[in-house]
Amino acid sequence: MLLRDDFQPRWKLALKWGWLSFAVFILMAPVFYTMYISFNELGFGAKYYIFTFQWYESVFSDKQLIGSLGWTMLLAIITLPIVIPFGLLSAKLYKQSQHKVGIVFVLLSPLFVPADILGSALLVFFKNLNKFFTLISEYTGIYVLESWFDLGIMTAVIGLIVYTLPYVFVVIMITMARYKVEQTEAARDLGASAWRAFWEIEFPQIRAGVFSACAFVVILTFNEYTRTSLLKGGFDTFTSVLISQMLNTGMSEESYAMASIVSLVAIIIVSIILIVTAIKTEELEKITRVVKEPNK
Amino acid sequence: MIIFFVLPLLLTVVWSVFERTMFWMEPGFTLFSYENFFFSSRLENFLSSMFHSSISVVCAFFIGFPIAIFIRRRVKKVAQHRVMLLFILPFMVSEIIRIFALRPILSRNGVLNSLLMDFNFIDTPISAFVFTPTGVVIGEIVSFLPFMIFSTFLALEAIPNYIFEVCADLGVNRRRMFKDILLPLAAPGLFAGSVFIFVNGIGIALIPTILGGPGSVNAGLIATQAIIALDFPLAMAVSAIMMFTLMGLLYIGHRLFNLTKLLEPIS
Repeated sequence: MLLRDDFQPRWKLALKWGWLSFAVFILMAPVFYTMYISFNELGFGAKYYIFTFQWYESVFSDKQLIGSLGWTMLLAIITLPIVIPFGLLSAKLYKQSQHKVGIVFVLLSPLFVPADILGSALLVFFKNLNKFFTLISEYTGIYVLESWFDLGIMTAVIGLIVYTLPYVFVVIMITMARYKVEQTEAARDLGASAWRAFWEIEFPQIRAGVFSACAFVVILTFNEYTRTSLLKGGFDTFTSVLISQMLNTGMSEESYAMASIVSLVAIIIVSIILIVTAIKTEELEKITRVVKEPNK
Repeated sequence: MIIFFVLPLLLTVVWSVFERTMFWMEPGFTLFSYENFFFSSRLENFLSSMFHSSISVVCAFFIGFPIAIFIRRRVKKVAQHRVMLLFILPFMVSEIIRIFALRPILSRNGVLNSLLMDFNFIDTPISAFVFTPTGVVIGEIVSFLPFMIFSTFLALEAIPNYIFEVCADLGVNRRRMFKDILLPLAAPGLFAGSVFIFVNGIGIALIPTILGGPGSVNAGLIATQAIIALDFPLAMAVSAIMMFTLMGLLYIGHRLFNLTKLLEPIS
């Protein structure tokens, strides 16, 4: 059956596509502009534009920037193996639970709480935890837990876990939506352990979602500023270097180049995920069509 | 999540009534931090940031809702998610890079003014695009628009196709379709997107810091400035006020629209 709007003139449809493309372009415009400046030999604010790769060549000589990238990478590497299993378990719990509202509330609320507010609350929480454990240590003479929550890598990682878990949960939930629980039940009926049923039956089918979640965690770690800057203690992350340059001395040309590289890497990773997901979805739909109508 | 998310946020209420010391705070009960917030220019700043966030919500609605409707109704089912994912790309680039790059684009001698002058829309450059509340609103829209589109699309996705077909068969006109079908059924998504933009608009300090003028202060900035000034009870009072605002809005939203409906298509 045709919809009423199917009689719409072509120009109206084109206009709507134009509006959508314009919105995407506006959202991406700042990124394109950063890339544009990064190729100018004369840097930001110059009257003339001379194309160069000079800043990309010299970007790796900026020790502060490279050091901050190393720290950020370390945070991502530590966060990843913790947040992904949490996300998987949360998604499984959500699917099986009768109290979905509570789980959704706890897991998705961090998306709504502004970074500065959550960061401030966690900062004071960690400082209080530290004081509490110091008191316990003095009282019991056991100093194992003392200084555990000093601001540093661990507190920054906790902040990142709270920040990235909702994204991981949603991405894994999307892939899990296609999985039929009956397959796990069949495997269990045939004598497979819960772990084996998950690892050999369910995981291969949700693998794409898990890898996408991993990519998102790395990208979000590189992008995160507020919570990490409040909780990181002494070291610098990539975004904290960028912000301090922006607000104090102005961004160096190398920083524009590095920002462009990081943005481009993020865009390429997400694009690969999108293309692979699109291909996989199409393959799955073909299989479904063949199963439903084998003679066609 | 309960230990490192729910508990710290709940404890902000307790810490907010502690007494301030030179470098920290000590247990006690005082409402001085709340007085400090409600009976000073901070309240004015907070209310004005609420006003600007509301404008951002309205703008995001007018820009984002038609896009979500278009994707749901005009794009083929198999391609809908792919088109939606176009809006993930900007989300995956650091907010700092996106916000900071808006400065040279919106400035007096920036790209936008140059374009407007080249096309003879204006004679003299407009300086109100940046370091003003307008700059903050533009920054909020550029930062948060994808969320309005995602949440609205999720709500629209749950509407079965036959509803549109029945409306078409009954000759329902577009205005009525929008008012009686699309708007009520997309309400959970619209509400979730609006709360996200509103709360983050008043809570994220980065946007007024980079794009706002000297008077652009929101709750997030008040909290971080209080921490820098070692006034931890005040920072916690601001956090508690923000938390109650958020919880209140989400509770109202859930009672009115059942926000868990949004997860139905993926659960």
